[in-house]
Formats: sequence, C-alpha cells, structure tokens
Amino acid sequence: MGNTIEASGLTKRFGDLVAVEDLSLSVERGEILGFLGPNGGGKTTTTRILAGMIAPSSGHAQVLGLRTDREPERLHSRIGLLTETPGFYGRMTALENLLYFAGFYDIDGRQQAERYLRLMGLWERKDERVSGFSKGMLQKLALARALVHEPDVLFLDEPTAGLDPEASREVRELIEESKEKGHTIFLCTHNLEEAEQLCDRIALIKTRLLVTDTVKNLKTKAFRQEVVVRLKSADERLAGAVQSLGFVRTVSLDGSTLLIEIENPKKNSPALVKHIVEEGGNILSVAERSRSLEDVYLRLINREGENGRR
Amino acid sequence: MAAGKKPNPVANVMRKEWLLTFRNLNNILFITLVPVLITVQVLVYIFLTLRFAGAKLLMDTILGGAVERWLLQFTVPAGLTTEQQIKIFFFSQFPLYGLLIPCMVALSFATFSIVEEKQTGTLEPLLATPVRTSELLLGKALSGLLPAVVMSYLCTGIFLLGILVMGEGELIPWVLNPQWWISLFVLVPLVSLLTFMLGVSGSSRAKDAHSAQNIAVVIVIPVLAIVVLQVLGLVLFSLLRLALLSAVLILLNVVMLKTAVRIFSRETILTGWK
Repeated sequence: MGNTIEASGLTKRFGDLVAVEDLSLSVERGEILGFLGPNGGGKTTTTRILAGMIAPSSGHAQVLGLRTDREPERLHSRIGLLTETPGFYGRMTALENLLYFAGFYDIDGRQQAERYLRLMGLWERKDERVSGFSKGMLQKLALARALVHEPDVLFLDEPTAGLDPEASREVRELIEESKEKGHTIFLCTHNLEEAEQLCDRIALIKTRLLVTDTVKNLKTKAFRQEVVVRLKSADERLAGAVQSLGFVRTVSLDGSTLLIEIENPKKNSPALVKHIVEEGGNILSVAERSRSLEDVYLRLINREGENGRR
Repeated sequence: MAAGKKPNPVANVMRKEWLLTFRNLNNILFITLVPVLITVQVLVYIFLTLRFAGAKLLMDTILGGAVERWLLQFTVPAGLTTEQQIKIFFFSQFPLYGLLIPCMVALSFATFSIVEEKQTGTLEPLLATPVRTSELLLGKALSGLLPAVVMSYLCTGIFLLGILVMGEGELIPWVLNPQWWISLFVLVPLVSLLTFMLGVSGSSRAKDAHSAQNIAVVIVIPVLAIVVLQVLGLVLFSLLRLALLSAVLILLNVVMLKTAVRIFSRETILTGWK
C-alpha cells in the first residue's frame, strides 16, 4: 500500500521560535494516524503544513503525490480539514453554510450537502441559522463540511473536543466509517482513549517527532512487561523466592500483591505461578499489568523533557 | 459522487457576502440610509446657505474667488444672475463631496466582511478549500464595490431630483459638466476600490468592526479636503487636475491591492491575525 502522506525534514520557524523541527513521517492510504503532543508542541503547525495552508521553513511534504507548498489549490480539492474551532456564519442556515463551502468544489453541492446533512442527523434543521446550534451540532456540521467533497485525506483537529459523550461517540463512529471508505485520516487529539480506540498508529510530537508506532508496540517500548500477582498474603521471603527465578528481573511487594517484571510473560507466567504455589503462596489472581496510552504518553513526554533539560 | 457544474468561486463569495450583509439590519440601514442622508444634507445646506447668507454676501466673502475661477473653467450661459452662478457652483461640488458615499459603503463591506470572518473563525476552513486568495479578495471587493457604485449613482439621481424640487431644473445642463462625469464614472469606482483595500488592511489588525472603521478617517479626510479646498477657491479641480487625481488614485489602488494581497496571504492570516 502506498504512502498518502510523506513528510521529510519539515521545520517551521516563526521568527526565533521553532514550532516544528526536522519532522519526517509517512502515512499509508486508509490508515488513521493519531498525532499527539502537548499544547504548543507543533501539532497544529504540522497539520497546517501538511494541509498546504502554510509553507515549511525547510524540508518538504507530499500529500497524494502533491507538494503541499507548491500546489495548495489542487491539494485542497482532495483533502478535508476539520479545524479546532468549527467556524460558521451565524446568520446563515446550516444548508446555506454547507452550500457555500461546497461551492468551491467541482461537485453537485446541493446533492452532497443533503447527503451529509442527513448522515449527520442535521437535515431536519437545515433551514435553521447556525447561531442557534449547540457545540455538538456545529462539530457535526464541521465534519460534514470537511467531508462534503469526499476527500481522499482528512485532517481532523480535536474532532470531539468539548462534545458530550453521546456526540463524541457519534463523531468517532463517523471517523471509523470514513476509514472504512478508504479515507486516510490524520487525527490530532488530546483524547488519548479516543486515539487508542481509533488509530492504527500514533505519532508523538514535542517540536520534534519523538516516536511513531502502533499503540501495542509503544507500550512494549515504553514499559517493561510486568505481571501482577494478588495473593491472600505475601511477605519478603516469598518476594525473595520469586526474585531467584532466572527470567525475573525485579520484584516489588505492595501489601499482599507482588509486582513482578519478567521476560516474555506469555511464556514464563506458568512457571512463575507454579513456583509461587510451591513456595506456599495462595494466589487469588494473576494478570499482566496493563498500561494505557496515557501512561505511555506521559512516560515518553516526560523522558523527552528530562533529555531536554540535560 | 456526482460532478457538478464548474465552480465559480468569485460569484460564490459575492453571493455569501450579500446574503450576510443584507441579513443584518444595521448594515442595511448603514448602506442605504447614510448615503441618502448625506445627499439630502447637501441639498439642505445649499438651500439654507443661499437663503440666509444671500448671494452678495457669499461672493463678497468666501466664494468670490472660487466662483470666478470656476467660471473660467466651465462655461455657463451669459445672463445668469449671481445667485444662479453660485447655485451651479454649489451643485457642481456634489460629485466630489459625494465620494464620501462609496467610501462609506465599501468600507462597511470590507470591515464587516473581514472582521466577521475573524470573529467566527471561518477563514481557516475557507482557506482549506481550493479557492485562491485572489478569487476570495476579488469576490469580497466586488461585493462591496457594486453596492458602493450603485448607491453613488442612486444618490446622484436623488440629488438631481432635489435640484428639480428646488425649482432649479433649468440649471441642470450646466451642472452636469465634465467634472461631474469624471467623478461619477472614474473617481467613484476608484475610491470604492481604494477604500475596500484600506478596509481589508485595517481589518486585519482590528478586533471588531468599529475599530476597523476608524481607518475611515484615512480616506474621508482627503475627500473632504478636496471639497473644502475647491469651495474656498484654494484649488480648482480642473479637468487636468482631475485626470492627475485619477492617476494618483489608480497608483494608490495598485499599491493597496499589493498590500491587501500580502496581508491576505494564508500564512499571515493563520499565524498573524489575532
């Protein structure tokens, strides 16, 4: 499968401020890439460069084979952008707003506007001025605007920010539907749970690109693998006995629970359990310690912060 | 996806600008009522000045030199009374004074249009469409230019009607001198466009429409100065001087167009407009 987005050595400076530094990444066709990072970390600047809105200070990017800094109008006819703030003209109706934006593309605007307003559940309110719309309705309308010309690539900046859980779920379902249609999606979000749920891969940025990988691989890379053994009771003697096993790296005792860092948990867990039982341990449960994307994010961002201070 | 007819971005922008503008009562009143009031005010001033000051006093004080010079430039029939000469002189000032109308209308469109885009956050999604900056700017400029020119011509009609109502219809052929036509068909469009560009430039720094409209002073003062200078007889805008003024306006338009295009660049808007 070919790459839809290719960035090479992107750097963007605003005066003395370096917003993005030497960023290289690629996104395959039909992939959802989660683009995560702290506020001011360069997410929006990168998105704007990739969407052909601003030019990089150095480096270059191609989206759908088009140089983002050389052919922005051609690029814009094939991408959709959901901005962080869903800006609309308050004195115009939902339909008028959508028809206006659809009017810049070589499409049947009226047919497409109706299709997406229906899809977003806004058709019944098409003739209402958007000044009266809730944030969730505006966000859905903004998504309709980003999709109305059926773009090949979608850039979504915080698509569920400020939405209630029901509206968030609807928007997530729409993103998944877009992926199923083969759209490539570049998703900027602070919602790590959402990123974990939706994204094929995660890219982490803090001015520089820190890492790009699947959520599973990131977890493996960021944390050693640990097994949590809950016992009826545990003591230092039992912890020491577990530590003596060859595949065990560290053991820590927390009340009646042992936190055991081991190599290859899938292979070694049965032997570990057998040994604990033989040492008189009364096991209540055994589980691999699960790490969330949030744990991974904080670990990598903090590690970067420490490296930066050195 | 069904392909539609070829998009016309300029017409699309114009349609939206008019739709938004004419859904705002304040805008409608500003664009229609203020120009009419300016026009009626001129008629009332001329009527009151002649009624209470009298032709002789005016000629002996501030107007003598101006009317004399003016009559050397533009022919009027022999045998007119001094009062009639003054009336023709006064009526003939309207095209210059009336330049305030395209100033105000174009500025209203420019400032409301740009500031509203900033306030609603619509510029970024708009710039993510295939519309070119030049198309966007042209659409916005034309949406302000056309009403400005139409209102100017409409008010000119109202002014001429006012002359008829004042019982001075026989003077109209002498009022409609070349200065009048140059002003209407050359200066009005040029001033409208220049004002629009100034409005766009000023709005890029302004947080609301009122702040943006403060820049009106930049263009209104020179327009008023032209009228005052001519009425006081300090400068007579002969045809040659009007041609020069037009040339200067064309030059200023080119400079402001370049400035507006630079200010309206995507990068400046996205990273510099606050």
